[in-house]
Amino acid sequence: MFGQKLLPWDYGVRNLFRRPSRSALTLVGLTIVVLLVLVVVGFIRGLEKSLAATGNPNVVLVYALSSGADIENSSIPGRTPALLSASVDGVRRQHGVEYVSPELYLGTRITTANMTEPGMGLVRGVTTSAPLVRGKVQLTEGTWPQSGEVMVGRLAHSKLGASQDDLAVGQQVAFDGQTWTISGLFTAAGSAFESEIWAPLAELQTTLKRQDLSLVAVSMDSPDGVADIDLFCRERIDLELKAVSESTYYAAMQKHYKPVRMLGWVVVALVAGSGIFAGLNTMYGAVVGRVRELATLQAIGFRRRAILLTLVQEATLLACAGAIMACVVGIFVVDGAAIRFTMGAFMLTVDSVGIAVACGVAALLGIVGALPPALKAMRLPVVEAIKSI
Amino acid sequence: MPLVEVIDVSKEYANGEETIRPLDGVSLSIEEGDYVSLMGASGSGKSTLLNLIAGIDQATAGEIIVAGTDITKLSRGKLADWRAAHIGYIFQTHNLIPVLTAYENVELPLLLLPMSSGERRKRVEIAMEAVDLTSRATHYPRQMSGGQEQRVGIARAIVANPTVVVADEPTGSLDDETTEQILQLLSRVNEELNMTLLMVTHDADAGARARRRIRLERGRLMENGKELQTAKLHTA
Repeated sequence: MFGQKLLPWDYGVRNLFRRPSRSALTLVGLTIVVLLVLVVVGFIRGLEKSLAATGNPNVVLVYALSSGADIENSSIPGRTPALLSASVDGVRRQHGVEYVSPELYLGTRITTANMTEPGMGLVRGVTTSAPLVRGKVQLTEGTWPQSGEVMVGRLAHSKLGASQDDLAVGQQVAFDGQTWTISGLFTAAGSAFESEIWAPLAELQTTLKRQDLSLVAVSMDSPDGVADIDLFCRERIDLELKAVSESTYYAAMQKHYKPVRMLGWVVVALVAGSGIFAGLNTMYGAVVGRVRELATLQAIGFRRRAILLTLVQEATLLACAGAIMACVVGIFVVDGAAIRFTMGAFMLTVDSVGIAVACGVAALLGIVGALPPALKAMRLPVVEAIKSI
Repeated sequence: MPLVEVIDVSKEYANGEETIRPLDGVSLSIEEGDYVSLMGASGSGKSTLLNLIAGIDQATAGEIIVAGTDITKLSRGKLADWRAAHIGYIFQTHNLIPVLTAYENVELPLLLLPMSSGERRKRVEIAMEAVDLTSRATHYPRQMSGGQEQRVGIARAIVANPTVVVADEPTGSLDDETTEQILQLLSRVNEELNMTLLMVTHDADAGARARRRIRLERGRLMENGKELQTAKLHTA
């Protein structure tokens, strides 16, 4: 196909400006289609990234056997961390400090200063050993929470449905009958922790009138350590505990959200499909008006395939322009937009995969959208086409 | 040996249940440098014969040999390549490419031939000069009159120095004054550039400009009142 003489590149480009309003409308349509694809892929990639970033294979989560997969419903004895430290080898230690984080985790209704209705938020009661186990957590502003204080993840406002300013350092939030002052903001490399509010464990237990814990997160020297903790849980049946590595736990969560991700890909396919039909319609209109011109090119000596390639070039150029516009909007507007979901919040991610998929869809729109009308025009006998109006 | 030999060519096509046969075993030979006008009533098949010789239509039967090549035996792709090298087509409605300038329209057939850009530029300039449109080289078809467009069409047809220039009603959409200019130009193409010219026309005055005047009547080719029987001479 490429060995033969082709029509000048300029011919294809100038044809796009032949009917400027039609080309502009097609460009807008293609941009919207590609942008929709980018948003859906950004949603899927953001969700995957959030869940993947949260799991650390060296960290083992110990929680109640009866709670199933839902840590919010877990209740384990407050002495569990001490028992684990004393009974299990392989717990990570540094300078005499064990990497064991007792935590109380719950979903509760939270109010900020400017919210009329409380929003559903996620609160984690932690001690100073939490950052040792949750290594990705970084305080970006303010200080570690003291008595009456909390620190908030950078996406906590999305989870609550509040504005970012409502959860700035110095602002106040109220939950479970107590008002807390925000002492700091933290990030956690895009993981699910970023949508949480962290409070001092002891004070949270007092507020909630609870002495139990939801879980204990233990950082082991190696990923094999989960077996030791699992053995401990099986031996101490009186505690009714189970141990799961953090990466396994969030992998199970990913599986839980698989239908959502699959649905996302179906939406990508549907959006691309509808875009192709829109492109087909436009190209049919564009080609029908040029039947005589295309026949003239054949009469001069251009082969059908060369003309076909030019028509595909025109449509693909337009689709690529749409893809570029969509990617620019995607990178500057869509990327980083926060989305709420049951496990917290995550950010739409416009990454290389999303851009590759968007460009692929654009190329598909160009090629598949142009071929049928072009083939139809090429099938018309030259002597008939040359006399068409 | 004639430059163009049409040997016992028939063309038929279906129109609903009816079969129409505009050409029924016609034969014709054209020598190099001839200027032939082909006339006849509407629907007599004159444009069909021209299109067959130009290689943009397929004969139902017979042979068409142009410069030694039987074009009825060529595949569609090879026929396109052959047209690029051997045929210059002048259309009734000019058929210029609207997004290309006059210069680019004339250059178009040369893009199909192996030559340097310098050679291409030289040939386009000569063709533009031949039709006296050098000053309009950068104009688009919409910026030109009908006569100017047809002159660009003629330049495009002759620029590759084709074996045969075919013209299908080249003055059919022009006023009298422009028609005269175009007919003079075609005569110059034949006389000064020594190009073989086959022109289909329904205009007797235009047809009279050609050195050979052939009529197509009831599927038969007549010249000077006699039926042309080239095929029989060649097959005897």
